[in-house]
Amino acid sequence: MSSDQKELFVQLSDAVVDMDEARTVELAQDVITKNYDTYEAIEKGLADGMDRAGKLFEEEEYFIPELLMCSDAMYAGLEVLKPHLKVDQQAEKFKVVIGVIEGDTHDIGKNLVKIMLETSGFEVIDLGRDIPPQAFVAKAKEVGARVIALSTLMTTTMDGMAEVIRLLEAEKIRKKFVVMVGGGPISQSFADRIGADGYAKDAAEAARLAQKLALEIAV
Amino acid sequence: MNDLSPQERLLRAIQRKKVDRPPVICTGGMMNAAIVDVMERTGHTLPAAHHEEELMADLAADVFANTGFENLGLPFCMTVEAEVLGSEINFGTLACEPKIAREVFPSVSRVEFRNLTGLMDSGRINTVARAGYILARKYPDIPVIGSLTGPISTAASIVDPITFLKELRKDREHAHRVLDYVSRFLVSYAQRLVESGISVIAVGDPTATGEILGPKMFEEFAVRYLNQVISEIHQLGVPVILHICGDMKAVKHLTPQLQSDALSTDALVNLRLLKEEYPGIVTMGNLSTYTLQFGTTDKIAEQTARLLKDEIDIISPACGLSTSTTLTNIHALTNMVKESGHGAS
Repeated sequence: MSSDQKELFVQLSDAVVDMDEARTVELAQDVITKNYDTYEAIEKGLADGMDRAGKLFEEEEYFIPELLMCSDAMYAGLEVLKPHLKVDQQAEKFKVVIGVIEGDTHDIGKNLVKIMLETSGFEVIDLGRDIPPQAFVAKAKEVGARVIALSTLMTTTMDGMAEVIRLLEAEKIRKKFVVMVGGGPISQSFADRIGADGYAKDAAEAARLAQKLALEIAV
Repeated sequence: MNDLSPQERLLRAIQRKKVDRPPVICTGGMMNAAIVDVMERTGHTLPAAHHEEELMADLAADVFANTGFENLGLPFCMTVEAEVLGSEINFGTLACEPKIAREVFPSVSRVEFRNLTGLMDSGRINTVARAGYILARKYPDIPVIGSLTGPISTAASIVDPITFLKELRKDREHAHRVLDYVSRFLVSYAQRLVESGISVIAVGDPTATGEILGPKMFEEFAVRYLNQVISEIHQLGVPVILHICGDMKAVKHLTPQLQSDALSTDALVNLRLLKEEYPGIVTMGNLSTYTLQFGTTDKIAEQTARLLKDEIDIISPACGLSTSTTLTNIHALTNMVKESGHGAS
């Protein structure tokens, strides 16, 4: 890789970390003009920047507004680069069906997890908020998802998470999916109790855990 | 001391005066205690009780009579404010609380500022105020608590929350303007409630946490507008209980700036240590609602005993109750607190 190319990727990564959407777009256009590898620009530029932003979030340097701004910059850069990806670089990705369980008002946490999952190379099917347990199961079957990610911020809706697992068991397809849970009132002990495969305390951790668990299950 | 009414006991606890034992309460609003167990016994049910003043008052009285909590709490949701300000509400079911179906404005710069006086006659403002009036007349010895959704959460219920959080950075000027409008609206609403006879205002602001906003934005936006609301309510002559969600780690140092009369926290916060660090505050909390829902009665009693031993000023659940929490479990909490008063002078 030429030093100019390397430098450009670092700048892209920095622009994401600096929450600078306009600069990210400008640099992404440079990548295209100079005919550099778009796949690498995404990996070493945009995704790297988002990964660094995720670390700053975990270190409590960044909070949710900052992380959201970084993701806006990343997505803006991605819009520029994506059409230039070679076909063979668009490998099939693991799919994640994500949503906020029935009865919940909030989806801030879910949106963050979605962003971090996309950054980590997953294809994310976002069902939105206030989703009944049956809909997660139906969508996961339909798209051949590998991961089902359930979020809630309210204790009232925690039962719905257990219901998703019960439905999968009833259909004898529990082992086909990784079920991850998260959100304010959720804990590792709750995840264990309902038989979920994983729990993460924040979005950055959720993305790492999803990568690990998705590779572990035999499909 | 033994003949303190629940009203006197709560107000004395808030004023840091001597009491026989701490009060045990559940404010309503974010901490709604209208659980399925209560509604099935009495037949006064949600979602209908969100809309009818008599039914709302009946259900609040049922909660008081059945749970052992020593207050009457209104309303049973966090959507009264957003509804009045224009958002679309899904009123939920018996077991599931109402939520915002759609935020009305796409960004802080697009929020329409309406006339506050006119707003006071719209939505369910009068329903809640009239229910408060009925209860305050019927139960003069029991504190009627009116719950407000705090300014940050209300703003994030009328503007898409993801956009709103970004705009706290990107469009500070409009964000401040919206928060000022929402805060002035909340004060007008509180005034209606105070006029109807409620004796305490509780503010819950679940979007205003250290985890979400971080310390700088919590200070710039949450502390500022919470204090604006609280100080104006003080002018109306009633005390304010403020509930802060989350572990508070990033924002604990801002505690002394909050002007509330009592501070309620999540179960993640060690109230004994918070009290040690800031001896000036009146603490409220913070029995885990997870334990309250899934724990054994022994475990609940044990955790309640710890709160009593730590001399927490007002005992309460730490967060919103699951509507499937059982009365048996709630009694383990409320009875433990009440028994602690026996033998006290």
